[in-house]
This record gives sequence, C-alpha cells and structure tokens, in this order.
Amino acid sequence: MNAAPASPSGAAPEAAPVPNTVVVTARAAKVMRGQLEKRGTPTGAIRFGIRGGGCTGYSYMFQFEDGEPRPNDHVVDAYGVRVFVDPKSMVLVKGTRIDFETGIRGHGFKFENPNVGDSCGCGESVAF
Amino acid sequence: MSADDFDPGALFQIEEPDAPASRKRAPGRGIGIDLGTTHSLVAIAPNGAQPQPVRDASGADILASVVSYVDPSVVVGADARAQQVEHPSRVISSVKRFMGRGRADIGEHPYPIAAPKHDEDQVVRFDMGGGRDVTPMEVSAEILRVLAARAEAELGAPIDGAVITVPAYFDDAQRQATKDAGRIAGLKVYRLLAEPTAAALAYGLDQTKGGKQGLFAIYDLGGGTFDISILRLREGVFQVLATGGDSALGGDDFDRALAAHLLEAAGVCEPSDRQREGALAEARRVKEALSDEPQVVANVDSCGLTGFAVTRETFEGLIDGIVRRTVKACRQTLKDADVRPDDLDGVVLVGGSTRVPKVRAVVEKTFKQLPLCDLDPDRVVAYGAAIQADILSGSAREGVTLLDVVPLSLGLETMGGIVEQLIPRNATIPIGARQVFTNYSEQQTGMVFHVVQGERELASDCRSLAKFELRGIPQLPPSMARVEVSFQLDADALLTVTAKELMTGVKQTVEVKPTYGLDEAAVDALVMESLDNAEADFEARNMAEGRVELGRVALAVRTAVEEVGHIESLLPADERTAILAALQAADEAMADTAGTPQRLKQTREHLESVSEAFARRRMERALQAGMGGKSLGEIESSLAAEDALEERRGSHSPQQT
Repeated sequence: MNAAPASPSGAAPEAAPVPNTVVVTARAAKVMRGQLEKRGTPTGAIRFGIRGGGCTGYSYMFQFEDGEPRPNDHVVDAYGVRVFVDPKSMVLVKGTRIDFETGIRGHGFKFENPNVGDSCGCGESVAF
Repeated sequence: MSADDFDPGALFQIEEPDAPASRKRAPGRGIGIDLGTTHSLVAIAPNGAQPQPVRDASGADILASVVSYVDPSVVVGADARAQQVEHPSRVISSVKRFMGRGRADIGEHPYPIAAPKHDEDQVVRFDMGGGRDVTPMEVSAEILRVLAARAEAELGAPIDGAVITVPAYFDDAQRQATKDAGRIAGLKVYRLLAEPTAAALAYGLDQTKGGKQGLFAIYDLGGGTFDISILRLREGVFQVLATGGDSALGGDDFDRALAAHLLEAAGVCEPSDRQREGALAEARRVKEALSDEPQVVANVDSCGLTGFAVTRETFEGLIDGIVRRTVKACRQTLKDADVRPDDLDGVVLVGGSTRVPKVRAVVEKTFKQLPLCDLDPDRVVAYGAAIQADILSGSAREGVTLLDVVPLSLGLETMGGIVEQLIPRNATIPIGARQVFTNYSEQQTGMVFHVVQGERELASDCRSLAKFELRGIPQLPPSMARVEVSFQLDADALLTVTAKELMTGVKQTVEVKPTYGLDEAAVDALVMESLDNAEADFEARNMAEGRVELGRVALAVRTAVEEVGHIESLLPADERTAILAALQAADEAMADTAGTPQRLKQTREHLESVSEAFARRRMERALQAGMGGKSLGEIESSLAAEDALEERRGSHSPQQT
C-alpha cells in the first residue's frame, strides 16, 4: 500500500559521504548567465533549493535571486555564476548535478539528485 | 540508492522570485455592523480612532431592521415599519430569525412563502407579489446596503470590508447565510464576530493581563431577547464557553408590565388598541425616565389617566419576576461553563434594557462585581465590530499590526512525533490549507490533533499551539477512516483548525493566535535553530518515519497471526517461528534509541519477506471464500472496488515518506 519507504538522506551506508555542495555543468552555467543578462541582472544569482508542497511532499525551488546570500547559505560558484542553497535544502540536494537539456521534451534544467527516493509522475515533486 | 536508479524527471526553468506579498490594504476603511433582530447599526473606528456610530442625514444611527416591499423600490427602516400595519404581509421584520433556516424549521410568521423551485429546495423565499421572491439573505442584504451606504458617505471613500456580528449560538448555516447577505450587499465580509465577543472587544477586555487570560460574562438584555454568554480569553483569543438565555424575554416585557399597571390604575379592563398603544408608549417613557428619577408622573390621555405617580420602587416590583428569570439563566450558564462568579474578571452590560437600575443591581449581586456599563449598551456591539474591522483593514492600532506572510510554518504532529506542515512559512496571509489523515489501527475511535508551529521536523522541537481530540471516529481497518483537517489563517493571524471525520461528519474546531507572544527576534531564533539542526532533524525524521512504518507492518502481521495463525494450513510451524522471531526483532529495533533508519528499514523488509507466503495464503483463502456462488462478473466488480479502495488508501496516508 505504501510507496517505497524513505531512503535516509545521504546514501547507502557504505557510500562515501556526499559533500555539501551541488554541481553545475558548464552548459547549465552558460544558460544561467545568459538568462541573468537577458533579465537585466547580470550580477544576480540563482537560488536553488527545496520547498514543501507538491503531491509527494516536496518540490524544487529554482529562481532568480536579486539579494545577497543569507548568513547560512551555501554559495556555489558555477563558472562565475553564483548559486545559493540554504542549509536546510542542502540536506536534500547535496550532490545534485544541475545540467541543461535540449531535446524532444523541450529545453530546461535537469536536476540529478542522488537523495531522491521517489518522484511523482510529473517529476516536479520529489520524496526522499 | 544511486543516481542511475531513477529517471531525473522534469525539466525546470528559472523562475522569478516569489514577489514579497504586497497586498492592497485600505487602512481605516473597515466598518462594523451590528445586524440585529429588531435594530441594526453601523459604526466606524478609522485608523485607531474611538468607535463612533454612523448617522443618517436626519441624525439617527439606529436603523429598524424592517424591510418593505410594498412599493416597487425597497424601503428600509422606520419608513418601512410605518407601512407594516397596513401591509403586514409585504413588510418583513425580524428577518434574522429566518437566516439559515430551511422551510421545515421556520415557525409562525405572517409572510406568504413562494413554492419550492424543486423537490429538494429548502430555501425559504418570501413571495412579495409582482414576481418578487426574496430570500432572508436578500432581505438582510437590503439592511446591510443602507448601513454600508451611510458609512461610505461618512468615510468619503469606498468601503474595504465589514465585520458583521452574529449571536454566539448561531450555527454554521446561520453564519453562512449572514456572510451571503453581506456578499449580496456587495460587501467584503472580513469576518463574522460573535456579539458577546464584540462587546468584550469594545471594552478592550482582550488586553486583560496582557491578553494572556481572563473570564468574562456578557449580559445582553435587548428589547425582545435575553442572552448570557461566558467568554474565556486565552492568549489573545476569545472563546465562547457557554451561552444561555431566553429568546422571548426582554425590555418589551417591562413595558407591557408597566402598561398593564397604568391601565389598571385608569380602571380600563378591556383596552382598545388605541388605549393599549397609548399606555405602552407612556410606559416606555416612564421606564426610561425612572432610570434617572426616583418618581415619574404618568399621563395616558386615551385612558383618562392624568398625574399618576409611578415610583421606581413600584416599577421594580412590577418587573421583579422578569428580572429574576434572567438571573436563573445566568446561574445555569455559569454552571454549564463550570465557572464561579468569583472567577470572572469582568461583566459587560449590553442592550438598552440594562439601563434599568434594578437590572444593574441584580447583575451586580449575581456576579458579585460591578458590571461594565460606561459604553452605550445599545451600541457597544457595533463598537467592537468597528474596532475589529479597523484592525482587519490594516490600520495600526495599539500595536496590532497585520502580517503579510506567515512568520513560522504551521502544521500537525503525526504518528511518530513528526511534523506535517500544512501552511509553510512565508505564505501570504490570509491562507487556508486542508489535508486528509487516516487512522492507524482498527481499534482507534479518536484522534488527537496537536497543532504546532515552527521549522523543525519533530513536533517536540516546535512551539505547541493547541491540542484537541476528535472522538467518534468509526472503527475501520487501518487507513480507511478519513479525517479532513483544515487550517484557516485569517488576515489578523487568527488560526482556525477544524478536524472533520468524512463519513460521520463529527467535527471539532479550535482557534488560536499563532503570533501571540512571538516577536521578530523569537522568529529569527527559531528559523536559525532549524537551519543549524537541519541534518540532525532529517535523521530524526527518518528514524521516526522508519519506526512508524515498521510499527504499521508489525501490527498488521501480529493481527493476522492472532486471527488465523492457529490454522496449520495457513501458517506452518516453521514459518510461524520465523515470523515470531521477526516480530521480536521489530519490537527491539523500534525500542532501540541508538538505532539507525537503515536498521529499521532492514528489519521491516525482513518481516515483510518472512510473512509474505502467509499473507498470500490468507489472501487466496479469502478470495476462495468470497468466490463461492458468485459469478465472474460479481467477482470482477468487487475486485475493481477493492482496487479503487486501495488507491484511496495510498493517497491519503498521513505520512508521505
């Protein structure tokens, strides 16, 4: 009756600990920079994280950030583009690879998150 | 689990940041309406001002709650009442008594009722002739329109919204009807406010002991009704503990008693209508004058009564029985609320009849304290509504400021002490959310709801706001009973939590003010704490969820073994031994405080695998028993029903791992 149970954050017991960071591919960083420039905020940043809600509980937050990082934020430098991740989200997204994909499904950023246990049909909500 | 195990799923676009909520507010443009049975009134208290009644062009503020449909255009107030004698069936008074009532439960009245539009049509419609059928909501809306227009003229600007008062004992249907009336009148109804609560707010009783706590009695003696309410103030929120009274007792009875006395003095045994009217009018005048004078001279020309002296003592003797009936109701209501007079922090007088000195004296004696009566008792309810409306319009009043966003997440504690967030931090206020929870075991007949606030994963690390129990849940297999919990956070951050069992409809409601005693520094500290503990919290949550999952499986297996485990063909001895050992291991794993989520998961998987064959045999047996004498079609449809059931179970499981 219940979906696969929570896999603990982190990974299988024998795996090496995942560092508190996310990886942005060069292709993704280039698109981010392009979109920031197009938006008229070339020095702006991107905020990446998790928020509650969605049909299996959590969903990704991925948005422009005009302010400076908050005191506890992790700041990832991706080929000159700054990506902020708040510490609470980091628990759930660490090790995520952010890529940009162009294909039959359209254009968009793709998150390869090793912490994800289960995702809903649309892929926008995730479980851990 | 590695990255190869799953489809990475959707493609994302960078979104614009959530704009900080900038809601349109109209400070000072909220109005408070006392929508009464016989009289109505609108008051304003713009931008923190003292509340004041709004008057019409002729200087009158009290509007008779009478609506006339005699002429093509609707007439409201005293002019409508003037037409009542001539057109009793086309002039509607006391429409409040019909609000939210079906055709079946309205008592006697002089109005023609339009035929139902269809069989199940329960809405009362008065047939006002000329094809005009009006509902009680529409009649009330006419009164509200007149009051709103008055207030708008006074404010010199469009009204933003209104607070409308209703009796504390109004049920959901009556409240909804009142809201609908506001909507029909084109008003945004900020909120309905219980009349006794409005009176308490007018006196600022919400500030008692810093708003922390207090107990109050509101004694409301109007023209035709008497209401007594006991209120409890706790952390900024008033709660009605008990109500009582008499819907056919009021100041009009004083007038009738005194009029009878005057007629007797005049030697008129069988008074004509004109004589009766004359005596009543004089009785009213004398009653009012006696509040200030020890003795008043009465004259009733139509009865030939002149220079008849009435002393206060005589009057008090006449109304003694009536006043005593209110005392009886007060004592009963105090008892219902389990409150002693000494416990009360204040007693408020509402309604014009409380101006009578005898009433005040009796109230003082009954409640063992001087009642509050500085504010006009005919207007105090509207004043409280006006203050509340001013706050809800966004005015800064005595340090009350409305929040734009939820400062800390609001949620419920679920099995295992885990927090299920319903309203996330930083959501725009006002906001509502609902979620369905299910039962854990078949033995369960109640559910405890613990409302918490904060960003931590475990309820024990969050602020506890309220705890209540919903009883009377039908005994159903695990996950089959469904309880819908709704959170409604109002503009002034009043949180209403309602839990409702969907099969029986039993429900419980609690109101709390999550922001009570919470300042910015405290919010910041709680948020930082959650960031510092993020990793440990997720570990704790995973542990708790693992425990709940294991507990659920263990309970199901244990129940099955107890029910059919003795049947050798279903459960061979060796399997039985293995299952019992796995159950033992499960108990140990759940009790182990130093365990890991992995261990809980492995233990559960082991238990599932050793009991799998047993479960399959049970299923087959049940199916065979079910198939006896049934056609294939019947079996297929029952299987389909089972599938649908299974789907529902899955989607409503309270924990979503």
